[in-house]
This record gives sequence, structure tokens and C-alpha cells, in this order.
Amino acid sequence: MTSTPLQTSHPADLTPPPSGASTPQSSSGIRRFLASAERRRVLYAFAAAIALFAIGEIVRPGFGSFAGIRAVLVVASFVGLVAAGQFFVILIGGIDLSVPWVLNAAAILVVTSSLGRNAWAVPAGLLTLAMGTMIGALNGVGVGVAVLGVPAVVMTLAMNGILEGLTGGLTCSSCAAYAPPVIQAAVHHPFFGIPAVLFFWAIVIAVVSVVLSLTTFGRATYAIGSNPRASFLAGLPVRAITIGLYALSGFFSALAGITLVGFGGQAALGMGDPYLFQSIAAVVIGGVYILGGRGHYIGVVAGSISLVALVSVLMAVDMPEYGRNIIYGVVILVLLLLYGREAPEA
Amino acid sequence: MTDAGHAALAGAPFIEGIGLSRAYGGVRALHNASLAVLPGEVHALVGENGAGKSTLIKVLGGRVRPDSGEIRLRGTSVSFSGPEAAHRVGVQTVFQELTLLPSLTVAENLFLSREPRSRLTHLIDRRAMGRRAEELLTGMGIDHIDPLAAVEDISLSERQLVEIVRAISHEPDILFLDEPTSSLVEREVVWLFEQIRRLRARGTAMVFTSHRWNEVRSIADRITVFRNGGDVGTFTDISEDDAVSLMTGRHVETLYPPVPALTASAPIALETHHLASAHLHDVSLQLHAGEILGVGGLAGHGHRALFFTLFGADRATSGTITVAGKQVSIRSPHDAMKRGVGIALVPEDRKTEGLLLRMSVRDNMTLAILRGRLSRMGFLRRAEEKRLSSDLSRQLRIKTAGPHIAVGSLSGGNQQKVLLGRWLLAEPRILLLYDVTRGVDVSTKAEIYALIHRLAAEGKAILFYSSDAEELAHLTHRVLVMREGRIAAALEGNAITAEAIVSAAVRDTSPASGRGTHAA
Amino acid sequence: MPPDPAITVAGRPFRRPRWKLLLAQNVGLALAVVMLILSLVIYCVIYVAAQHRLPGNFELTSTVNTTMPLAFASIAQTIVVLTRGIDLSVGGVVDLSNAVAAVKLGDSLGSEILWSLVVLVIGATCGLVNGLLVTLGRLQPILVTLATLSIYQGIAIRVLPQPGGQIPQNYTDAFASITGPWSLLYVIIVGVLWWAFRRSSLGVGVFAIGNDETAASANGVAVRRARILAYVLGGVFSAISGLFLAASATAGDATTGNTYTLTSIVAAVLGGVSLFGGRGNGVGAILGAFISTMIVNILFFAHINPLYQSFYEGLFLVLAVVLVGSVGRLMRKAM
Ligand SMILES: Nc1ncnc2c1ncn2[C@@H]1O[C@H](COP(=O)(O)OP(=O)(O)O)[C@@H](O)[C@H]1O
Ligand SMILES: [Mg+2]
Repeated sequence: MTSTPLQTSHPADLTPPPSGASTPQSSSGIRRFLASAERRRVLYAFAAAIALFAIGEIVRPGFGSFAGIRAVLVVASFVGLVAAGQFFVILIGGIDLSVPWVLNAAAILVVTSSLGRNAWAVPAGLLTLAMGTMIGALNGVGVGVAVLGVPAVVMTLAMNGILEGLTGGLTCSSCAAYAPPVIQAAVHHPFFGIPAVLFFWAIVIAVVSVVLSLTTFGRATYAIGSNPRASFLAGLPVRAITIGLYALSGFFSALAGITLVGFGGQAALGMGDPYLFQSIAAVVIGGVYILGGRGHYIGVVAGSISLVALVSVLMAVDMPEYGRNIIYGVVILVLLLLYGREAPEA
Repeated sequence: MTDAGHAALAGAPFIEGIGLSRAYGGVRALHNASLAVLPGEVHALVGENGAGKSTLIKVLGGRVRPDSGEIRLRGTSVSFSGPEAAHRVGVQTVFQELTLLPSLTVAENLFLSREPRSRLTHLIDRRAMGRRAEELLTGMGIDHIDPLAAVEDISLSERQLVEIVRAISHEPDILFLDEPTSSLVEREVVWLFEQIRRLRARGTAMVFTSHRWNEVRSIADRITVFRNGGDVGTFTDISEDDAVSLMTGRHVETLYPPVPALTASAPIALETHHLASAHLHDVSLQLHAGEILGVGGLAGHGHRALFFTLFGADRATSGTITVAGKQVSIRSPHDAMKRGVGIALVPEDRKTEGLLLRMSVRDNMTLAILRGRLSRMGFLRRAEEKRLSSDLSRQLRIKTAGPHIAVGSLSGGNQQKVLLGRWLLAEPRILLLYDVTRGVDVSTKAEIYALIHRLAAEGKAILFYSSDAEELAHLTHRVLVMREGRIAAALEGNAITAEAIVSAAVRDTSPASGRGTHAA
Repeated sequence: MPPDPAITVAGRPFRRPRWKLLLAQNVGLALAVVMLILSLVIYCVIYVAAQHRLPGNFELTSTVNTTMPLAFASIAQTIVVLTRGIDLSVGGVVDLSNAVAAVKLGDSLGSEILWSLVVLVIGATCGLVNGLLVTLGRLQPILVTLATLSIYQGIAIRVLPQPGGQIPQNYTDAFASITGPWSLLYVIIVGVLWWAFRRSSLGVGVFAIGNDETAASANGVAVRRARILAYVLGGVFSAISGLFLAASATAGDATTGNTYTLTSIVAAVLGGVSLFGGRGNGVGAILGAFISTMIVNILFFAHINPLYQSFYEGLFLVLAVVLVGSVGRLMRKAM
């Protein structure tokens, strides 16, 4: 059984208000689409992103240009990749706090194991992804195996520490520190003026969306997030899927680590730290229900873009760090309160 | 009809509910229900599971607000903002779902929000609280519960006693007791009735619900019958048969179809030898194909453990399970559902163990075959899913606005049909049905009975637990009565009556019992 | 009520021994004591092996002084976790109070007292904001405190953009004296405060909410009030943590407190506090903080590369949680 300390009890005599999916079918497809609170949140997140680009264009002309948008999207793609993993575990009411150092360890591993050489780029990349997946699976074992029963917060927090220690301790300061040129090219190389990493993100968006909506694995994920006990009693392999979802989170963190070294050329200690809270924030802004069971990756995508757009706008107006932090927090709160008005339990 | 109290029946009602209604999503739990309780009377509330008795008590006890209707206390209209508002005016309730806090001690629970304080610091005086709890318990004749034990460490029946003691200790004018006896053995019921008589003599008005007719008959001054969320009459004297037909809205003969005949040579579908698990001891039983084997007894006496162990949701500690002659190892529901085994379990609590309330009717129906029939290389067969779910809706006559509707918005009966339908799609050989008619309206009930009989006639083996002895008596070929995790009696043929089931369940043999009956 | 011995439930004739009951209710605390003693023993052994003498006053003093901020942060975390919540903004409040102390504390006693109180009020306000958003805004604690963490950190950086400021010497002497482990006095005070908290309506309310919110309100517990006050208290203890941090560092830094968000959770968990709410003990959380420090000390004297430190801490955390969980389960089974 998966559980986190994040779950709150609902008063026993409060039946869940029927979600949007239950409102009677209306004739108009769009109206029906909007009838779901969940989908409305996705639209809000996209609207926020567009509004931010507009504001950015006003305060700093050129912000909303093709180049400006492209720059934001590239940064958003890294957040979006990490958030994909975070999204998978939040869908079952879990959380992954090991994101920063899985990402960081992956970045360092891919650089050092390839020695910066093109020829070794592919095996190094595969090795790194396997490492991330395996670490994620270990998280899943701790959380998902009932006799261990480690709360998700504790398990992934500990794993973050374990990886931080291993990465710090094992890294040799004299090793090659540059990513193989092919990996850098795979991130930067433009097609029709658009960097490759954005095409790559588009593929990830498609695959994640298809997996969640068209496969039995996806359906089982939502089922477990809605009611793990009922899912177990319906014969779903709750434990295996829990492990699988945490493994996916590790995979995506590692993937983000690889693309980040490809983007920046170098790996650095601490490079993963900002991605923990950003990934959670992107998931939440994207309208995903933090207790599990509901949400779409496309919302997370919108959340990542608006988050990065917000930070970029604040940078564009030379907002100092303290102001960025404050506004960042306030915006998240405001969005949550807005979402909360629709479904009080958000 | 009872030993005392008729004299007290005069006078204006203490508390009165008038035209109360309350809905949960699509479920009308209470619909235009009324109840008047007189000073010094013991008022029994009877009705089937799901008739709305508990909801009425929650409304009158201040726990749930009615959607409409009025509550009058000694003639003046009141509205309770919460249970403590009711406490302030002398209304105490023992709710069906206990409200004790598990990690706190018995003493802390007994004195919650009225703890004895130290005069000096005004802090809670835990020593005095322990002492007073001890006095309170022994004063009421309970000496086996340690006030310093955490509630999570005492048994279900002990928790029920603590809850009752707490309510009585407030010296209420009106006391609601919702199924207080459902987890008590006979001597504890005797104890409770002594307390009730004592309170009645002092003029306390009491309302209690029970499914055991002999209890109702022995203590109630008046009886109100509930059906489908409303009251259908209040009586000072009514025969059991009349009450049952009022409760169900039809006569017993028409509600329960005749039990299909058993083929003498039917093979054994399921067999256990000395099966044991955390709350189950040495259970050996045989279930034949086409047979409906009933299981009865008091709450918390191991039925749930039996069903969940057979289904692999609880771990068996010893003993064997044999399906169709082959010994099987069932370590998870997934094992139980495997092709060669084919066991299905419909659990009691739809909301927490059965349904994914926010997901659609269709998603809920196909959950058990998600990874089987519905999967093609990991992808959902959406067309097949559509076809199966709409066939099922038609076959079980499930009333919804469409298969994409969230299942939580359906009525209780339709929710239960969705859950049953889920398991029909899985095509099991053995069905474990755990209190499946709980909280279901009468017409759905009749449909479910017919369905069960049809399944048995098709050769499915059915293990059927019900908290309603009447239902067990009318629906099954044989009944096993469980007590303290063991099979205490087996009834067959004409010996199966509701009375026989209840008396086998409450007979309590060893005074040193009480362990091993922790909540399953 | 007049006792009526005529009516009795002829119950099970025995009761379980009291010590068993009490132990079962305090497994987490008991195991924290065991872990702390074990870690002290191991530490002494390693220390003697390395230094050929027993650790003395200096070691004890520095251990206590480095632990105090964490001890208070873990109390803050515990109070909120008991309500089945979580407070990620602990680090932000520690930063803020640390920064304000570094900037404002003057050399006079009056200034020290005044600004210490102001810092506590700031902490309480931060907690109040969290509590109001959680209760009235009906938002998940983890999300609220994630957002306010960012806000409080931002304010802290605004107050003290660069590490610096000055903590008066007598303030350091009072809260992080290097002459001896005098700060243990504060541990005792907190222990007494916890004892009182557990015997107050608020304390009972906090535990009750963590057990079962509906049942708590059915029994007359003022659920909202208790929850909001729990966050307020959490804010106050985080602020105290920031003051101790400032005192022991003798200067301010608006970012060193960040780590306390996560380490406070670790300390609480090591101290036997359940993240699922309703079970735990503030004294246990303090023990958890000391265990955390002892592990660092042990690693240091065992000549473990400091870069590996978080590896061992993480490993120990998982093992400890699994161990506490299984021992607790065995205890209950054996009863
Ligand atoms: N909290 C709730 N949420 C949804 N449905 C409920 C809830 N409580 C009761 N119901 C439904 O209301 C109906 C009446 O229930 P209840 O009052 O418990 O009946 P009784 O006590 O007579 O068995 C049932 O159909 C039940 O499923
Ligand atoms: Mg009821």
C-alpha cells in the first residue's frame, strides 16, 4: 500500500462532490471538456503562461518574440522532464524528494563514464538511465512494500542523502568534466530554428499522455491513486506498479540530468537542487491533485512553462532574488486558492 | 409489551425530528423522516441496512446537518452546529462508527474536553483522570478494561463498552445508541440492558437500533420502523412478521425467492483445512459448486478475516486451501483471481474497499479484468471495454446518466450493482460475497437475491456473509456461525432460522474470552 | 453516578501489565532512547580509540550547542506533524529569525530581549499564515508550506542580503556558551513545556486531530483552533531555533537555516514521531536531534570522508525507520 503523510482525512459524512466527469453530458464538446475542474485547471495554467509572456513583452520588448519564447521553453523542458517523474508518483499520492541528487548523480555519471568522448556517449547514457531507474525502483520498494512501510517523504529524503554522499564521495575532481559533444548537440541542434530538446520534450509529452490514457498501466495508476485498497482488492499489482512509478521518476530525473549537462556542457555539484521544489510546483500548478488519482501531463507541461516564464519575467525586470522568492511563493498560493475554490479539497 | 415504563409514555416529546431529509451525492439517505421521543421511554428504531437509521441518529445527535426538516427539543426548534452543541443540551450519542481516538488512552477518551484539572496549574491532572476513569468503569461494573490502555490496544467489544460508558457518564437526558449490541456478546448485552433500565427509571429517553428482534422485544417501549430513508410507522406492539414486512415493503415470501435445489453430486469447489490467520482459528469448511453457504455471527468475530484470507488479502498463518481438488497457494488477490483458482470477493465497504468513487462507472466495472481480457499488449481494448460495460449496465439494470459518470454520484443500490458487475465480468468460479446488501434499497436487494440464485444455479460456489440473520436464513443452503474466529455452529435445512443463528452467535461460553476478537 | 455493583460485566479476569501498555504506547520514544545510548557508546569507543582519552567537556559542549537549533526545529516540525500535517517552511522561518537577530540584536540587554521577542512574534505570524491557509483556505499543508517557505526565505534574504551582522557576545554566552553544556538547561525547560503541552486542551486537541479529525470534533475538540495554534507554535519554535543558530554562529546568514526543513523531519522521525499524525513525543524529537548529531560525530571520528556523510545519514534514516516500524509491530503482536 502506498501512503504518505500528506493524506488528510476527509470528514466521514462528506461524500466527495461529484467531480466534473460526472456532470451530465452536454451537447457541446468544448463545454463538456471544460465541465471537468481538472481540465479547467490545465487551461488556467496555459492562460497563466500566455499572460506571463504578454507581461514579459510589455516590460521587456522581445520577451514574447520567437527567440524569447524559445529560450523559456528550453528551460521549461528541463523542469518538465523532472516534473514528469514527480507527476507519476504524485498520481498515486506519493512524492519524490530524491529528485535533486538523482539528477545530479546522473549528470556526473554520464560525463565521467563517457570521458567526454562521443564514442562512449550512448553506453554512458544508457548506463545513467539505468542507474536512475534502479534508484527510483529502490525508493518504490521502500514505499510500496508493506512490511518496510517507509513513508514516501522519509524514503526519498534518505535516498537523496545517500546519493548526495555517494556522488560527493566518489566524484574525482580531476576527471573529464565535459559532456560528449554529441549529447550537447542532441540538446542544442536546431531543426527549423527549434532546438532538438524541444522536439524531444514533445515526444515525451506524447508518450506519457498515451501511456496514461491508453494503456492498462495508466488506468491502473489512476485507480491506485484514487483508492489503493480497492485497487489491491480488484487484483491490481499495487506494489509492482508503485515500484514502477518510482522507477519512472528516477528515470526522468536521470534523463533531465543528461539533457542538462548536454545543455550546459558541464556537470556541477548542487545543480539538481532547484529542481525539487520546481518539479512539485509545476505539477501542482498544472492542476494535478496532490493526494493522487487525478491530473494530466499536459497540465504539468503548462505548469512548467508558466513557472519558468514567471521566473524569466522577474529576471527580465531585474527583480532581486528575494523578490523572486516572495513572488514565486505568492503566485503558487494564489493559484492554489483559485483552484481550491472549485474543489475545496485541492 | 415490556416490563415497565408505560406510565412514562405520557407527555410532550423530549426531542422530535420532523420531515428530515439528507442526501449524499446521489444517495437519499434520509427522506422526509420523522421521529418523536418521549421522556423516559426506550424507543427502538428498526429497519433494514441502509434504511437511514444511522443518518437519522447522526442528524438528531448533531453530527450531520439535515438538508431540510426541523429538530425540536422540548418543543422549541433547534439546530445543532455539531455534536458538542447537542451535548450541551443533554443529547448524547453512541454512533455506529465508534468515535474513540485510537492512540489516546481509555481515560483520555472518556474525559475528552472535560478533563479534570489541577487546581494549581489548570493543566489536565492525568493521575486524577486515571483514577476517575477507573471509578467510572468499575462503578458501572466494568473491571477488565485498564483506563491507561490505549484504545488501539483493546478489543472491539471493549471499545464499544467504553463508548457507551462515556455517553452515559455525561448523564444525558436523551441517549442515542446506534447498533450498540452489534459487537457485544450475550453477557455484555445483558449489562447494557441493565444500564438502559436504570436510566429509564431516572427518566432518560433512549433511542436504540438493533437487528436482533428479541432485543427489541425485550427492552423497547415503542418501535419505529424505517424504510428507504423514512419512517413508516410507530408502534407500541407489533409482531416480528408485521415489522419485517413493513421494513422490507413486502412479505418475506416475496422478498426472498425460493432457494434453488442443490445437486446431490455437486463437486467440492472450495475446501479449507485448519485455516488460520491473525483473527481466524482452525477453520475447516467445504463449499460445493452451486451451493450458497452462509456465514453469520457478531461483528468482529472473524468472518472478515475468513473472507479476506480466502481471497489472499490477509496472510494465512497455517492451514490449506483447496480449489477444485487442487491445493492452491493464495498470497494476494491477484493469486485468487488466477485462471485455475477463480475466486472473487465483493467487500462490505463499497466506499473504501470497493469503488473508485471519483472514477467513472465504466472504469469501475472493468477494474478486475483490466490486465486480463481488456489488455492487448498492455494497451486498453477500448471498444471491448465499451461493449462489456454497456452490456453489463443493461443486464444488471444499472441506472446512470452514462458510463462516463463518476460512480460516487450513483445511488447505493446502483453502486453495489456496479461492484457486483465488476466481479461478474471476471467470470469467477467462487464468489465471496461479504454483506453485499448492506445499504441497498429493497428492490435492488430483491434483484441481488435473484442474481445470487441465478449464479448458484449456473454452478458457481457462493460464500455469503450477512449481518442480517433473516437474510442468511432465507437465502442459503447451509449456515456456519462464527464466534471468536472459529466456526461455532453449523446449521442445515430446517434448523436454519434467524433465531438459531443469533443464539449460536451470542452464546458465550468462556468467561475468560474477549481476546482474539480485536477488530479485523 | 451512584455505583451499582450489582450490575457487572463478568469480564476477562486479567489485565495486561501496565508496563506493557505504557511501552506499547511509547515504542518510538523508547527506541529513540536506545538509539541515543547506543550512539553515545559507539562514539565514546571510537573517540577513545582515536584520542586515547574519554571525550570531555569541550566535546559535550560543542555537541549540545550544535544540536540546539535542530532540537527546536524538530519540536516545531513535531507539533505540526502530530496534526497529520507537515511544515516545509521550518527552514524559511529559521532563516528569517536568524537574519533578523543578526541585523537587529544590539549590545544592550534591553535590545536583546526586545528583539528576541520580536523574532518570536515574527515566527508566530509565519505560523499563523500557514495555519490560516491550511484551515480556512483548505489547502494541503505540504503545498502551503512549500509556497510560504519560498516567501519566508525571500524575506530573510531581503533582511540580510549577505552573511554578516553581529551577535552580541553575552547573547552567545547565554544560548550557546562554550564554557559548558549549559544549553541542556533549555532542553529540560522544553521537556517541562512538553509535559504541560500534553496536559493542555491544545495538546490533547492536536493529538486528537491527528488521530481522527471527525471523531475529535464529535467529542467537542475545537479542531480549527487547535490546528491553527499548532502551526503558530511551530512557527515560534522555528524562530527559537533561528535564535539559537544565530547565537552559536555568532553571526547571521539568511540561507544556513534552509537545511532545517529536512533535518527537522529526520530528527522527528528518528525520535519516533509518526508522519501519519497523532503519535509522537516532543522529547523524542529532541532525542532524534541528538541522535542526528551523534551520527555526524561518529562519522567524523571514524575518519569517514565528510563527503560521504549524507550517505551514511540517509542509510541510517531508512534503517531506523524500518527498525522502529517492525519493533512496534512485534510489540503489539506480543501483547
Ligand atoms: N457518509 C455517507 N456517504 C455516502 N452515503 C452514505 C453516507 N452515510 C450513509 N450513506 C448512505 O445512506 C443510506 C442510509 O444509510 P444509514 O443511515 O447508515 O442506514 P442504516 O443505519 O439504516 O443502515 C445508505 O444507502 C448509505 O449508503
Ligand atoms: Mg446504521
